[in-house]
Amino acid sequence: MSDDRKDLLQGTLELLVLKALSLEPMHGWGMAQRIDQLSKGVFRVQQGSLYPALQRMLRKGWIRSDWRVSENNRRARYYSLSRGGRAELANRAALWKRASEAVDGILQVRTVGNEA
Amino acid sequence: MNPLPEILERLKAIFFRRRVERELDEELQYHVDRETEARERSGSADPRRDALMSLGGVEKWKDDVRDARGVLPLEECVADTRYALRALRRNAGFTLSVMAVLGIGIGAATAVFTVVNRVLLSSLPYPESDRLVAINQKSSSGSWTLSVVDLQAIAAQQRTLEAFGGMRWGSASVNGSGSAERVTIGRVTSGFFRALGIHAAQGRLLEAGDDAPGAPPAVVITSAFAERTFGGAAESVGRAVAIDGLSHLVVGVLDPGRHELAGVPAEVWPVLHLATPKRRGPFGYRAVARLRKGVTIEAAARDLDGISRRIFPLWAAGFQDASARLTPVPLRDTIVGRANRQVGLFAGAVALVLLLAIANVATLVVVRISAREQELSVRAALGAGRRRLVQLILIECLTLTALSGAAGLALAALALKGVRLVAPDLPRLSELALDPAAAAFVAAAALVAGLLISLAPVSSVLRHGRARTSTLASSSARVGSGPRTHRIRGALVVAEFALALPLLIGAGLLLNSFLRLQSVDPGFDPRGLYAVEISLPPARYPDPPATLAFWRRVEQRAVATNGLTAAGLSGSMAPDNFGDVNNFDLLDKPVPAGTTQPASPWPSVTTGYFAAMGIPRLEGRSFTDADSGDAPPVVVVSRSWAARYYPHQSPVGKRLVSGGCTTCPPTTVVGVVGDVRYRGLAGEADAVYSPIAQGGDTSGYLVVRSRLGAAATLQALRSIVASLDPNIAPVEVVMTDRLRQALGDPRRWTAVVGAFAAAGALLAALGIFGLMSYVVRQRRRELGVRIALGAQPGSLIGLVVGGGMRYAVLGTAIGLGISVFESRWLGSSLYGVRAGDPATVAGAVAALMAIAAIACWVPGFRAGRIRPADVLRAE
Repeated sequence: MSDDRKDLLQGTLELLVLKALSLEPMHGWGMAQRIDQLSKGVFRVQQGSLYPALQRMLRKGWIRSDWRVSENNRRARYYSLSRGGRAELANRAALWKRASEAVDGILQVRTVGNEA
Repeated sequence: MNPLPEILERLKAIFFRRRVERELDEELQYHVDRETEARERSGSADPRRDALMSLGGVEKWKDDVRDARGVLPLEECVADTRYALRALRRNAGFTLSVMAVLGIGIGAATAVFTVVNRVLLSSLPYPESDRLVAINQKSSSGSWTLSVVDLQAIAAQQRTLEAFGGMRWGSASVNGSGSAERVTIGRVTSGFFRALGIHAAQGRLLEAGDDAPGAPPAVVITSAFAERTFGGAAESVGRAVAIDGLSHLVVGVLDPGRHELAGVPAEVWPVLHLATPKRRGPFGYRAVARLRKGVTIEAAARDLDGISRRIFPLWAAGFQDASARLTPVPLRDTIVGRANRQVGLFAGAVALVLLLAIANVATLVVVRISAREQELSVRAALGAGRRRLVQLILIECLTLTALSGAAGLALAALALKGVRLVAPDLPRLSELALDPAAAAFVAAAALVAGLLISLAPVSSVLRHGRARTSTLASSSARVGSGPRTHRIRGALVVAEFALALPLLIGAGLLLNSFLRLQSVDPGFDPRGLYAVEISLPPARYPDPPATLAFWRRVEQRAVATNGLTAAGLSGSMAPDNFGDVNNFDLLDKPVPAGTTQPASPWPSVTTGYFAAMGIPRLEGRSFTDADSGDAPPVVVVSRSWAARYYPHQSPVGKRLVSGGCTTCPPTTVVGVVGDVRYRGLAGEADAVYSPIAQGGDTSGYLVVRSRLGAAATLQALRSIVASLDPNIAPVEVVMTDRLRQALGDPRRWTAVVGAFAAAGALLAALGIFGLMSYVVRQRRRELGVRIALGAQPGSLIGLVVGGGMRYAVLGTAIGLGISVFESRWLGSSLYGVRAGDPATVAGAVAALMAIAAIACWVPGFRAGRIRPADVLRAE
């Protein structure tokens, strides 16, 4: 995996985690399942990179963690969105929207030269 | 971005490392379990293995998470420190010797630093102390104190001072609770306390009304005196204290921390009532003033200069030095000024010792690190980069010096107690204590020492770098081997000798100076000589006839006492109490008008004093009863005085004007006696004696020569004084003690610098001993072969000693260069010997060479006893 792609994925992963946590606090494994399900299987979360990403986001103060009892009655580490994280999500979502609109726009340009 | 969460996460990771790791494990476990269940449901053959695989390797995963936590560098440092501590504990011998050597060095340096910082650098303990000045008389001939005329003129005319006070320091019989004791007192005007800006802990300080003429006498006392006399500060206010027989009302008590004011140690501070002056002198009053806000010391100097000019013509009859000016001096300078040189000497010596200790430890560290060459190679082979290895060495060295610093701090606390013994007359000694600045100094010293001792090993790591793995192959690599290590050690040994020599020379010069001082002839035989110092309360002895009557009676009683072979009175006491100093003008060679007249110690004595002291009469006559207060004034001079002012002729019959009193009848020199020193053992022996009947002193010494022992003699003297006036508390003097005390300072200084020099020489010896022992161990095989081939043990000793002495000689030569600078510090502390005294320098060099030779001889001797068979068997 080249470095560029990793960065790209990493940025996307953080956005997806923020979005998932904006719905409700959840633990790591649940988060992977939820992202999988929300994206209808398009994004498959690399489980090896999810937890390091969570650590980075904890450090940045976007998310908090605490230990709660899970749906199957076990102690699990739950992550939830902080106020800073909410702002970051709004920020990134807007950025993503602008970027994807721009990319869409570019892709819709007709390749005139070919018809001539 | 808010940095707080990040910091908290990092701190949590460092300080709750175990918990964080446990949580990591638990989270992993949970994830794997859930994933396993999920895969089981979807029909996996080995769901657990698949679950683990999805994480991509558990340890790698953990590392990634830890990495993301971002605490590695700090965590690494903590881990390295733990590792260093474990390693140091394993090598307890090495660690303890470093801690001892460096701890002593840092401890001594910290103690000296604290003294320098407290005594010389920090500000005085008064509010806005930079506005405080002392006021002195200054003229072309020197600097002296003020008189009543000066104090009153300043108080009346000054325009630049916010507050101004006069003070006269002395001692008095003080009786607060039944028994009189002799204590130091400072008589002060009320402005003195106002100028300092201090407040009473209990009661009040002296106020403007207290020093008005006719006001009832008031006194302020220290907490210590209040505690001792009345049992506490609160109990003291309102009580009465008799000072030289005159009752004073205690109006206030000073703060417990105040043992001295304006640099003057005194326990009792009675009010100073100034009498109307009859002439410009006598001097002896100190003055302290607080400058008005915004007034510079130059402006105050101009103000006081004007006052000097205005008052001079009014009192010109008795005081002729027209160049004398009242001069403000920062109070701080007057208090700490004299201590500067002494402390500078101390600081220089201790800095050398500290550097020597560091050099010595550096040698030990070089050996130890090179002994761990293998471990470092293994680490390098396992992927540790240079940065990592350097960090490891740095942390280990810093841990070591931090431990030494802690030991040094403890030793410094002890050493500060020692400072009080070594230098009891340093100013502001009562303020001495370990403080945050001292702790900061220890930290800085430990840090610098740590960096210095890691220099050599770090540079060696940086040099070798990647090539290190190759040494791993030769696993039999010998401890501390390599020409580079050897060169570094050699250089360190050279440095140690270069540092030790100035210490030895300094100690030698001080010792030389001390011995010369000790052999100075004081002019009297102190054995069997005793005295009591008596001061007569002016309240009961108001005029010269009353004091003279007391002096006559006390001398008669002493003469009549069995066992006392001679007795007499004197206003001054050899060897270092010059009492009154008087100026004079010789009638046959007067000084030009308006210039400073010569001055000499001027004790008033009885003829019995010469007899008791054993001072021989050399020429003319001594005093008789005819030399009364009404008779023409006469003096007897010392031989040194005669030789100075009348070389090659007799002074007997010469006449002089004494005390600048041109209207008084001239004084005639009637005799010459032997020399006794009153200006200290290193001082001149000039003296002019006047008969006690013409002196009118209110304090003096009753001096006796006795066949009784010290206890019996002093008991006899006490009862003589008590039989005449029980309110006088005499101060007892045993002349042998007094003479020894006069040598106290030089002796203590010699002892301290001597101890530093001994420590320095020992460290240098240890350094060269270690190096040569190592050389012998390393060349064991070669030496064994030489012996097998018939070399004599003697020639091998010569080989080793000769090899070692190369370093010693080189170091000593460099040390000679360094010691040239030393003379600047030391010059003025010496008596009778120059700073570059060739004999002393030669002696120090010889001593250092001898020490080096002995230190090399021991490993040499071992080399001579190597048995070839053992060497070959070991191969």
